[in-house]
Amino acid sequence: MVEAIRRRLVIASTALLMLALPLVADRLAMPDLVALGTQVAIYAVAAVGLDLLIGYTGLSSFGHAGFFGLGGYVVGILAFHAADGSLFLGVVPGATAAWIAWPAAILISALAALAIGALSLRTSGVSFIMITLAFAQMLFYLFVSIKTYGGDDGLGFRRRNALPWINPRDDVAFYYVCLAVLALVLAACHRLVRSRFGIVLLGIKQNERRMAAIGLDGGRYKLAVFTLAGAIAGLAGALQANLLRFVSPDMLHWTMSGDFMVMVVLGGVGTLVGPVFGAAAMVLLQSWLTQWTEHWMIVMGPVLVAVILLTRRGIWGALAGRR
Amino acid sequence: MTALLRASGLTKRYGGLLACNDFALAVMPGSLHALIGPNGAGKSTAIGLLAGEIAADAGDITFDGNDITQVAIPARVKRGLTRSFQITSVLPQFTALENVAIVAQIRAGHSFCFWRDARDDRRLTDPARAMLDRVGLGPRAAILAADLAHGEQRQLELAMALMTGARMLLLDEPMAGLGQSESQDMTALLAALKGRVTILLVEHDMDAVAALADRVSVMVSGRVIAEGSFADMQSDPAVREAYLGEAG
Repeated sequence: MVEAIRRRLVIASTALLMLALPLVADRLAMPDLVALGTQVAIYAVAAVGLDLLIGYTGLSSFGHAGFFGLGGYVVGILAFHAADGSLFLGVVPGATAAWIAWPAAILISALAALAIGALSLRTSGVSFIMITLAFAQMLFYLFVSIKTYGGDDGLGFRRRNALPWINPRDDVAFYYVCLAVLALVLAACHRLVRSRFGIVLLGIKQNERRMAAIGLDGGRYKLAVFTLAGAIAGLAGALQANLLRFVSPDMLHWTMSGDFMVMVVLGGVGTLVGPVFGAAAMVLLQSWLTQWTEHWMIVMGPVLVAVILLTRRGIWGALAGRR
Repeated sequence: MTALLRASGLTKRYGGLLACNDFALAVMPGSLHALIGPNGAGKSTAIGLLAGEIAADAGDITFDGNDITQVAIPARVKRGLTRSFQITSVLPQFTALENVAIVAQIRAGHSFCFWRDARDDRRLTDPARAMLDRVGLGPRAAILAADLAHGEQRQLELAMALMTGARMLLLDEPMAGLGQSESQDMTALLAALKGRVTILLVEHDMDAVAALADRVSVMVSGRVIAEGSFADMQSDPAVREAYLGEAG
């Protein structure tokens, strides 16, 4: 009971802080804070989706950046073709409207996750980690090799996707858009893990053999949640492309997949809100530490080790108690 | 009367080891049929083959008159054939009630429902509670499965198997690791189930087998060498030599 109140207090104060961030940034005359907050929200969206896999289904996917980057490239490529009026593959016209580009990013990432998941989920354990990593690296090298879209150098575009009533040049407005997306994703996942679907995922995580013995064909559920997590990563990627107005193969690199995993573990595996704190810790530490040294991982590494050793469920476990 | 479960010619080879060698068995509906034999006789392999976890190299399995040799585990469960495990395998992070409710949920159909909270769905928790009462775990419904005593976990395991709506249970050593009084409780529980559910019981506890079994098959080196009543088996010279003799 006390823990439930404590949990709500932590969530409420965090939400309040994030809502008030642009005001705080204004008062402190630190406009960079808004960009940092936006980056936190975007990474958090992808990390929450990854937590569905790692924390709720027991699937350690090491290819999450593949879907993140793919979502980003969908936005980038559509903007590229919209700018010069050409057609993608000679068929698809470009687009700058968010209501076209973002759903397209979600759809393409979901389809990629469906295909990659259908193959990867034939394996489990370390093989699954390696095969998801391999697929994401294939996507990475694919985009490195496409010179039309900048290859190694990436692909920039001039304007954010157009949203109704929102000025695309307004960074604070875009921050609130990302925050709203994060809130929606969190709320939907919160419902999801308590639904029949979520209960089955938790069962698969605990003992898949047992689940088969009581009549469950677990493969369909694992593929469904893998696809869903891919779709969420695609959405995060679309936001990321909009934040920077730039996409590059770095978004798909395996180190990005590793960063997402670190966010989930640092924040608290299997907690959904934990990865938000994980993303915040990662982004803020990186931003502050790089002012001192480019080898910021020297500090980040020990922090990660300490959090894993000293807390039961990451930062979220330390803030909000045991369960 | 025809057998509910019939296996013939089941063979499974692991490298040079013939775990099951021309294994044949017929279990009559409503009976409690015990499968006994010394360690390494291949009893667990036989259960694995019958449940569908292990693919046979040769042989056929029929259940209720239908060939199920190639049928996957979940589909066998839907037809009414469910197994339990020798090593206790409940879902440790779920409560006793949740362990049984998830079975009720799977039995109710697909679980592609993403929105409604399933934990307080009375269509699932009511039958689950009734099942826990039936195996004597009613008062322990809210306890995490990991925190239950070993004997209680075995009872829970049985409740989960029953909740699938099984017409036939394949029980792999339900008494394994139980103390004497817990074994007696489990024996009483199985005695209460007897006749309502067909049971194939693999068990080392001879007191339980003597008390429960309508029919006993003795398995040695991957095949059934003798079958009959428990008393017949006690006096069978081949069985005595292979098994009961060394068990004392």
